[in-house]
This record gives sequence, C-alpha cells and structure tokens, in this order.
Amino acid sequence: MGEIVRYKRDVWGEEVILGVSWDLLWVVAVAVLVLLAAHAIVMAALAKKDLDRPTAEGRRVVRHESIDRTFHWLMAVSIFVLIFTGTAPILGLRIAWLNIHWISGLLLTFLIVAHIIRSMFWQDLKSMLLTPKDFSEPFDSTSKPGKYYFEQKGMHWAATVVVLAVIVTGVLMFMQIDTPFWNRTNSMPEDQLGLVFLLHGLSTLALVALASTHIYFALRPEKIFYTRSMLAGWMSEDEMAANHDPAKWTPKEAE
Amino acid sequence: MAYMHIGKDFVPPDVPGKVTGRIKYAEDYTREGMVYSRLLTSPIPHARVLDIDASEALAMDGVFGILTADDVYPDGEPQSTGLKILTNEPTLVGEPILALAAIDEKTAETAISRINVTFERLPFVLDPLDSLAEGGANAYPGDQNTFVFRQGFATEKWTEDQVASFRAGNEPTAEAQQTWSLGDLEAGFAASEFVYETTFTTAGYPHHSMEPRSAMAYWEDGKLYLHGTSQSLTALADGMAPIIGVPKEDIVFINAATGGGFGQRARANSIPSMAIPAKLSQKINRPVMMRITREEEFTIGGARQGFQGWIKAGFKPDGVMSACDLYIISDNGGKGGGGDASSAADCIDVLYQPDALRFRGTSIGSNTAHRGAQRGPGQNQIAPIIAPILDKAADALGISRLEIRKINAPRNGDVAGPRQTPFTSAYVPESLDMATRQFDWEGRQARRRQRNGSKVIGLGLGQGYHNAGRSGMDGIVTMGTDGRLKIHNGVGNLGTYSYASTSRAAAEVLKMPWENCDILNVRTDNHLPITSPQDGSNSIFTNTRTMFGAATDMLNKMKEIAATDLGGDPADYDVSNERVHQIADESIGYTYAEVAQRATELGGKFTGEADLPEELAEWTQISVSRLAGSAFMGVYHDPRHEGNPPGFTVTCCEIELDLETGKYEILDMVTIAESGTIVHPQGMENQLVGGAVWGIGLSGYERHLYDPQNGLPASTGYWQSKVPTYLDTPVKIGTGWVDLPDPENPVGARGIGEPSMGAVSAALTAAITDALDGHHFATAPITADMIINHLAGTEENAAPLAQNNFRG
Amino acid sequence: MVATSHDVMPDIELYQPTDEANALALANTLGSDGWLLAGGQDTFGWLKDRNKAPGAMIELTQIDAWKGIRETADGVEIGAVTTLTEIANNPIIRERYGVLAQAAGVVASPQIRNVGTLGGNLNQDARCWYYRRGLDCYRAGGNICYADSPEGLNREHAIFGASRCVAVSPSDTAPTLVALDATMVIASQNGTRTMSAQDFFIGPDRDIRSMTALDDGEILTAVRLPAAWANAEFYFEKVADRNVWDFALTSVAAVMKVSGGTIEDARIACGAVECVPRRLEAVENAIRGQQRSDELGARAGELAVEGARPLNYNNFKVPLMANLVARAVRG
Repeated sequence: MGEIVRYKRDVWGEEVILGVSWDLLWVVAVAVLVLLAAHAIVMAALAKKDLDRPTAEGRRVVRHESIDRTFHWLMAVSIFVLIFTGTAPILGLRIAWLNIHWISGLLLTFLIVAHIIRSMFWQDLKSMLLTPKDFSEPFDSTSKPGKYYFEQKGMHWAATVVVLAVIVTGVLMFMQIDTPFWNRTNSMPEDQLGLVFLLHGLSTLALVALASTHIYFALRPEKIFYTRSMLAGWMSEDEMAANHDPAKWTPKEAE
Repeated sequence: MAYMHIGKDFVPPDVPGKVTGRIKYAEDYTREGMVYSRLLTSPIPHARVLDIDASEALAMDGVFGILTADDVYPDGEPQSTGLKILTNEPTLVGEPILALAAIDEKTAETAISRINVTFERLPFVLDPLDSLAEGGANAYPGDQNTFVFRQGFATEKWTEDQVASFRAGNEPTAEAQQTWSLGDLEAGFAASEFVYETTFTTAGYPHHSMEPRSAMAYWEDGKLYLHGTSQSLTALADGMAPIIGVPKEDIVFINAATGGGFGQRARANSIPSMAIPAKLSQKINRPVMMRITREEEFTIGGARQGFQGWIKAGFKPDGVMSACDLYIISDNGGKGGGGDASSAADCIDVLYQPDALRFRGTSIGSNTAHRGAQRGPGQNQIAPIIAPILDKAADALGISRLEIRKINAPRNGDVAGPRQTPFTSAYVPESLDMATRQFDWEGRQARRRQRNGSKVIGLGLGQGYHNAGRSGMDGIVTMGTDGRLKIHNGVGNLGTYSYASTSRAAAEVLKMPWENCDILNVRTDNHLPITSPQDGSNSIFTNTRTMFGAATDMLNKMKEIAATDLGGDPADYDVSNERVHQIADESIGYTYAEVAQRATELGGKFTGEADLPEELAEWTQISVSRLAGSAFMGVYHDPRHEGNPPGFTVTCCEIELDLETGKYEILDMVTIAESGTIVHPQGMENQLVGGAVWGIGLSGYERHLYDPQNGLPASTGYWQSKVPTYLDTPVKIGTGWVDLPDPENPVGARGIGEPSMGAVSAALTAAITDALDGHHFATAPITADMIINHLAGTEENAAPLAQNNFRG
Repeated sequence: MVATSHDVMPDIELYQPTDEANALALANTLGSDGWLLAGGQDTFGWLKDRNKAPGAMIELTQIDAWKGIRETADGVEIGAVTTLTEIANNPIIRERYGVLAQAAGVVASPQIRNVGTLGGNLNQDARCWYYRRGLDCYRAGGNICYADSPEGLNREHAIFGASRCVAVSPSDTAPTLVALDATMVIASQNGTRTMSAQDFFIGPDRDIRSMTALDDGEILTAVRLPAAWANAEFYFEKVADRNVWDFALTSVAAVMKVSGGTIEDARIACGAVECVPRRLEAVENAIRGQQRSDELGARAGELAVEGARPLNYNNFKVPLMANLVARAVRG
C-alpha cells in the first residue's frame, strides 16, 4: 500500500504537501465494500425466516415534509455529482468536470447553509441532537427512539462534519481558480494550499465511505420504508409504532 | 598615409581553425584523469544556506568531492559587489552554492540531486522601485539594497508617495546617490522653445555568448593550468590569480578562442566562476572540467542594467539642445555593479552637446541576474530613448531630423562629460552626411509614414557613442635569429580579430611582411604583456599603441645596433624589405635575421635584460624576465594619452510596420562608423553588422525575463530570451566609415564595438516611433504586443514603469 | 534538492522498432512509461533537464509505414513521422493543401524542421515556461498554475478555454489540420481508430495532463487530408516575436471555398489562443454565403474574439486574433 499524503516541490524546490494519495480511494472502496458485504451476510444469517415486519398499510404519519425531502434530494444529487466529477479525472475519465464540480459545490454550500438556518429556526433541531442517552439506545431493546434513532443521528452528524470539511476546503480551492466572479490570485502559500487539498481529499474519501454506507442502509429491506418516506414523505403508523416512541416523536397524520 | 598593413584586409590566423572546427575552446580540452564538475545553484531568489547534507552524494561511486563557500572563503565571504565563486547567501536564482566533481556529468547530476540543502528564505525583490519604497524588500545581504562606491553596501529608501509619483510619470523628488551637472539648467529650459518630458524604462538583457563560460583546470608542479574563456588573456589571468589564490607567476591561462565576450569575460571579477574548477581541482587533486549549461550562462553570466528613468529635454528655436535633465534608477541586479546611468548622461552630453545638463542617478539592487559590462554601459540603453525625442523636437521646431542632429553634433575641439574632457578628434557631422548620403535619407523622406494597405513606412536616424580607447598597457615583440617577428599579444581571440588587427601595428612599424609575423597568444606562458581587457571599444586604440610602441622600441634598437656595428648614427638608418639599412646606402645594413643574431650576442637591453621601462606591469615583468636573454626584444610601456578618443556611429533605417500585427520589416539599413583610421576593413564591417544585430535586439527583442511573483528567470534558453534571427534582420546592412586619423593613436585608430549597437537601436526605435505617428513608447525593447496594444487601445496590466523584464 | 539546470541525458532505455507491430506492442507494454520519440525536438529538453522521467523511449522514425505522403481515394495521407521539411516541400501538399505546406514551413527553424515530424509537432507538449521549468504545476500533476496570476508571465498564454492551466497549443500545423477537417489515424494493439483533428486535441478541462486524445499504448500513425478541401482558398499566417525559430503568438488557418467572391463554405482555426486549435464555427457560419470584403473581415474578426478572457499580459492577442481572422476572411 502506498502513502497517504502526496508531496511535491514548491516553486523554489522545497517539499510541500500536494494532497491526498488517490490510492486511498481504492482502499476506501474496498473497505466499504467488505464491511457492507460483511454486514449484509451477518444480517442475512441473523434474519428470522418469518420476519414480522411492520406493514405499510393503514394510517400514515408524516415523517419528512416535502421541503425537507427536496433539501435532502438536492443535497444528495449535488454530493453525487461532486463525488462523480471529483473522482472522474482520478479514474481517468476525460470529461470537463471542473465547472460542474464547482457549480455543484456552490449548490451544496447554499443548501447546507440554508439547511443550517432552517434547522435552527424552523425545524426540530432537538430531534437530531445526540445526547448521552442516545449512546445506550442500541443496547437497550426496551427503549425506542424519537424521530431519529442513534445510527441515523450518527450518520447525520458524521455527514455534517465531513460535508462541512469538504465545502470549507472546497470553497478555499474554488477561490484559487478563475471563475466568472474573480480571477485567481495565487495568493495562498503552496504549503497551505497543499494542506487544503489534503483535507479536501481526506474528507472526500470519508464522504465516499459515508455516502456508500448511507445508500446501503437506505436500501436494506428493514430500512427501505425510511427511503420511501424520504421519497413520499410518510410512514405507516405500524412502521412508526414498531420503530419509534410516540412519546418522543409525535408526527402529524399524513393526508 | 600609405600603409603596408593598416587599412588592408587580411586573413587572421585563427580563421582556418574556426572554419574547419579545429580551433579549441575550453570545453574541447581533456587531461588524463579529468573529472567533471556540476553546480548546485540556488533555486531561491534570496536565501541563506543553513545546512548542506552531501553525505549521500559523497558516498556514491564515482563522486570525488564537493566544493562549498566554506572551502573557498574560510574567513567568511567577501562583502562586495560582483559575483562570488560560491556562496551561502544567494541573492538570485541560479547563483552557485556548491560544485561537485564526479567521474562523468551524469553521475555528477545524480549526485547533486541527492544533496539536501536547507535554506532560510529571505525577502526578495525584483523591481528596484519596490525596494526603493519604504518597507520594500532589499536584495542584498544585511537587508541592504544599494552599493555606494568606496563605502560599501547601504540602504536607500524613498517614501511610498515619492515612488508612486515617479511611477505616475513625474520627476523624482528624492535626493539621488550620484549627481553631476554642467551649465545653467534653469536658463537652458527658459531658453527652450520645445520641452519634452517623460519617464522611461529599459530592460536588462543577457549576453548570449555562443560559448558558455566553461573552464577546465589542473595543477602540475605547483602551477595552475586553467583552460578558460576570456576577452584578453593577460587582463583576465592577472585578476584571476588572486581570486584563486595563486601567485601570478604560477598561473598559466590557456584560451585559443572565445565564443563571444561582450564585456563580461574581460575581467576576472565578472567571470570568477572559472575559479571553481581550479579550486575544486586543488581540493581533489584531479583535473576538473566544469561545463556551464546555457541556462547557467544566463544566471552566472549576468546582464546589462535596466533603467527606470525620467528625462526632460529642452530645445531652442534653432534646434540647439539647451538643457537636458536626467534621473535614472538603475537595476543593479543581485550582485551590484555597473555605472551605466552616468554613462547614459555622458552619452547625451557627447552626442548632443547641450548647453546645460544635469544627471542624477541611484542604483538599487534586485534579486535578478548580476549586472555588469555588456556592450555599452548606459550609452546604448539611452540610445533608443533619446532618438525619438530628437525627432519630436525636430518636428516641433520645423527642422529636419538630420539637421537637428548636425546642429547638436560634437566636432573637433568640443568637450563633453562631467570633467568636460576634450575629444581626441570628432567628425560626427561628416559621418551624418556620409550615412544619409549613402542611405539617400533625403530622397526617402517622401515615403515617410506612407501607407500600403495595413503597412506603413517609418524612417529612423540614430547615433551611437562610446569612449573608445585607453592607454597605460604594455607591449612585447621579439625576433629570433630566423628574422621572424614574434608579436606577444594578450588580446583575446573573440571573433573580432582584434588580436590580429592590433598586431598589424607592430608589423607596420617594422615593415614586416605579414607572413613573416607570428602572433604569440593562446596561452599566457607565451610570455604575454599586460593588455587592455578588450572591453569598452578600446582594443584597437589601446593595443595598437602598445604594439606600435614595442615594435618602435625594436626598430630603434635595430638602428642602434646597425649604427654601432656599421657606422653612422641611428637616425641615418631605416628599415625595408626585412633589413635595417642606411638611408643613404641601402646596401649597408643587416637583415632582420642578422640584427636579431647581433642583439642576442649583445644581450642587455637588446634582449630584455636591462633598461626596461620602469612602469611595466607585474605581469609584463614576469613575461619579460622569462624571455630575457633568449631573443631580440622590443618592450614598451604606453604612457597615458590625452583626451577622450570617441567611437561614433550613425545609422539610417527604413522599416515597414504592419499595423495589424505589430510586426515590422527592416527594409534597409546603413550604418557608418567614425572611429579614426580603419585598421582592418573586413573586421570593421563585421563589427558594424554584428553590432547592428545587437541594436535590433535591444530595440525589439532582448530582455532578461523574470517572474516577478517568484523571482524565477524565464530566460533559461533562447526561447524566452530572443536574439534576433536572420529573418528579423535586414538581408544586407550597408556599412561605411569616415576614416580620418585620430592624433592620439600612432596609426590613427579608435574603437567601434559599443557604438555600432547604439546607433542601430536608436535608428530602429526612431523608425518604429515614426511609423506610429510619433508615439513614443519610451522603453526598450518594443515588442509586437506593445505595438498592437497601442494601436488597439488595449491596456496591459503591468505595474507602471515596470521594466520590460517583468512583462512577459 | 532542485537543481535548475541539468542539461545531461539520464540513463534511459531506447527501443528502435522497425515495424508497426513491434512499436505497438512496445507502446502497449510500456504504457505511460513509454515515451514516443520521433524527431526528438520536444523530447531531449525534457529528458536532459530531468523534468520528465519516462522509463523508456520508443523511437518511431525507423518505421517506414508511418512515413511519407500518399495519395488515397479520398485525398492524401501523411505518415506521422514524415518530417516537416518534407511536408513543406512536397509538391502534392504544396499544390492541393498549401495551407499545411505553409504552416509546416514556418515551424521553428530549418534545422528543427529537418528532423521534426508532423506527429511530433502535433503531439508536442504545452509551451508554458513555468511547466517547462519542471515546476509542479497543474499540468505536471500539481495543484497550482504559476502563469495565471496577477504577476505571472502569461503573454504567450490562452485567451480562451483555460481551465486551471492557461497554456496554449503551440503547434503551427494543428490549426491547419483542424481547418482542413483532417482525420487522425490512431493505432494500438487493439486496432486502429480514427477521429477528426478537432477532436484529437483536448483542453485542460478534459485532461490537464495531456493535450491530445491519445491513450496510453496508442500512436498517431497518419493524418488524412480530405479531397473535399483540396485546392480550396487558403490563408495561413503566424505572428511570432521572431520570424523564425519561435512559437506563434497567434496564428490563423483558413480554408475556404469561394466562388465569384462569395464564400460558399469555410473552416477557420486559430493557434496559440487556446489549449487546442480554436475552431471558429461562429465565424464560419457568419461568413458562409457572404461576399468577401473588408467589412466582412472586420465583422469576422470581432466575432472571432467574442468571449475572449485575456490574462494580464496577453490582452494584445484579442486584437491580434481579430486582425488575423479579418485578413483571412477579407482576402
């Protein structure tokens, strides 16, 4: 296995960080595949044959408002586009990726900022907060979560950290290229620039891992109703009762 | 005067070797056991070396050792202008840090890549005006930015407002480092009908010598043998010995041919890098060849100073230049050196004889190539700036452009310069007449600014000047018993044939057929006298004086021997047909072989053992002492001459400028020299044409490009440092010369090297300005992009008053 | 430690295949480690300065099948290792595709043209001096462009289509091939593929490390000039600082079918203004069916430079390009 960090010579010949070693992309890909495959196998082995899954029939409650779902899917699309356009040149695809990349990055940045503002004033931020009690939740079969269970909150906050790292470093990198809004200045010292590239690369790798994991769980049979709820907005009362504590989360009834 | 040799074409003895390729340059030599040296040069424009870890390199097979500044300067590096051999505080990218010797160059390169040098980066500056402004970085060690003559490094600062005002095109208000003036400037401007004022810039430009400054050295029996490149052997070796730390009698400098010098191979302190193989050879006890790459030639080789200046010139209604006020900031590069700015003012005073002139100048360092001698210090930089100003004055005053130059031209008896030195002779109106007649200047005026589609005709008239002669050197001639004349000549073989042309003066004195003359040069152990360094247009004046003097000494000795042996008075004797004989009866006399035989028998002063001139230089004394007693000898020390022997040129040119591409074609060009008696017409023509190409380069092409953000030189080869090519120069450049003798030279000769460039640059820039309806760029070079931008009204985003070196 | 000047060839394997199969096999085996060597004019500088370090060179000049100029049913095919001098002097090229002969005849200098090949000229790397200095810029795999900055020396750089890297296509022949609608023949062990000259050149937006669409293991073996544009009206002009031994500041190659002064069809491309030869389709559309005139030329020039985004020191390329296109169009 090669190195984690790539180095280069700066304009005066001194060694500085260039960025992350993209060999790690393969490491991440293989690691995620192995872990998720292992998870799938274990889950398949543990699965009860006559699994009594909650039914989607019956009364429905609102899990995600349409605006939240729009936010989610726009973020998902922009992240997917960012990952694709960012990794395409590494994978040897000759596409004009940069403009799409930064436009998607700007979109994501806008969405993130908007989401942060909404979450603080218009959404139930507390429902996503991780408290010490949440950490015992996976080990307590008697306790059911509110709107989001521990793993969902964990995924959300991990994604939050990683996406913020990606967009902060991405914006710094964006400022180093020519855009319709400004001409580049070459003002960032090369060692700092390398550090930004490294952090962007590392957070990209983490994002690839998180996105893959997220998609995997979204497609798991026992979780697919969450995915449906992110598409259609609702979940059944039966699904709610089986997985969530109405005392902690009181959704509206779906129309 | 009817001469036997002077003014006649001949084949210099090095020509066959150059045509066949048999002549040897420094790189062509080998020595048993020779190893190869390569340099590790600074990648940083200004830094301090903290540590050199060469352990991995030194452990490699085939690596013999390294040489660092600590080896060369155990007591600390000298704090003076000029290049050091090696340094621990490089002040420009490309400055040598260390040299490594290995079995071959490939191994040396690989070894160098394994040396780890730890640098501390120091602030650097590329534009002298940035350094001049308060708070700006300083180029030199000790956070200093200028070098004051006889005082050392210092710091010069203006207020930011003063710099900004200068950049904005105004007269600098800060006090200058150097000032001199003549006449009443205020009265001069008051009397002016036309006053023109502008800021201007000129670019530093590199040498482009065909032969890089490679050198090979070895030590044998305590003597150093150094194969190198130079403009004059003894002048260079004389200064190289102390740099290496070897007594003058123990250095043998070998240099059969030099592929271009142009000033920087004249003196040891401008090409000290040749000491590196000598020191390295001494350290590792093997012959060392150090080949210099083309890229290194740009940084080790140095460049001309660039100017950022302000000029104000006033002209009276009759066209007389009544006042000229000049303020120049000269870019002294990473190492200091060069007094170009004052020479620029001197040149204006010489060529246009203003009633009043004031020069103010300040030299500021920048972390760029070191600056120094290069075909005209100041005179040539100012030539393309001043010529269009003359034209503007002429047009404004309704005087022809030829007439205004004639009105202001220097003449016999005139004086010029800060010390108001009289010319030894001056025939500028005659050269203006000759050039314009040969070019049909008047006849072509009808075509001036004529349009043909997108093309327009421009006409330009330019003048060049440089002081063209020195004195105080020595001469030695000897004659063996075979009667052949041996001319010991330290003048280098640059391609100008001056070493041979100056030798002709000795042959002339003795009326010796050229085929019976042997020029002893190539190696300093050929007992060479000290000669002038063959820079500053001075060779022909300076060294014909010494050659003539040495031969005259021999002639007098011949007459004395003949008179003593054969009767009569020495004054009764003359020479002809290789005999010294009585004038009255030519049958009474000696052949040269016989008189040489007699001289050897007599010894004493006839063979250099007694009665030598008292003022002989140390180098000459060494040579004479080694020759003493072995052959009939004429030896001479040249006393100082009186006055300023000038070299003048006048150039006329016609161009056709394409207004859509910014390109121009030089349709015709004539350049005329006024440099006394012409010794070697073919050599003269070569000088004029070669200088013309340089002038074309100065006006249109050449600049030492630097990246201002990082201090990197872009000029690392001929791609980004553009010398004009055959297709950029006229097919034929007409030449001619006034050919009137100068009284201060025994054969009437004065030099021409530098002026041949200036006049062409002046004429070409004047023609470009003419074609553009008088638009004065006030800069050199003027490149196609600048012309297009001007015509299209587009702006480039260069800093105001930035030299062209930083606008690539 | 960076030494700025090496000027010494490193040890390197040299393969000299004499037939196509061997060359393609070597190219396939060596992949990105194999350096295709023709005239060597864009090779030895890189290697001697040790700024590129390929594992081996594959010399292509001994493969006769890739040399020479042949007439075909649909025009002319030029082997990629044909020298520029041969192309410039070839009677067929001079007679039918004079624009290419003219462009080949102004590449660099006579000495370079005598050994430099068409393939080499088309495949030569970017001529940004920062990149050529061996700096780790974007094009060299780094994360910065030194030329595109407020103080960078970018007089010779792009006014169109820059994407991080602002270097331009330095080839004199490339614009003429785009204008002539030439077809590039590309061989590999997997067979032969063809593509238009216009598609052959790619910008930094698509691949910042390569200026052509060639993949590892592929070799440009020939260029086909279509009969459709033979004997058309041609215009080529290269403006450089020097009249010989220099790269274009801007060049224009125009190929037009003109009848009675009316432009029936045209293809125009400019060199040295973008990383690829810049095809001027908007100009072509605007002049098609129009009578050649000074006014048309001026309009074409204005249209040609629409959208130009000059850097600090290459503003001049905008009027220069407009003027050259105007000249080409007005006749």
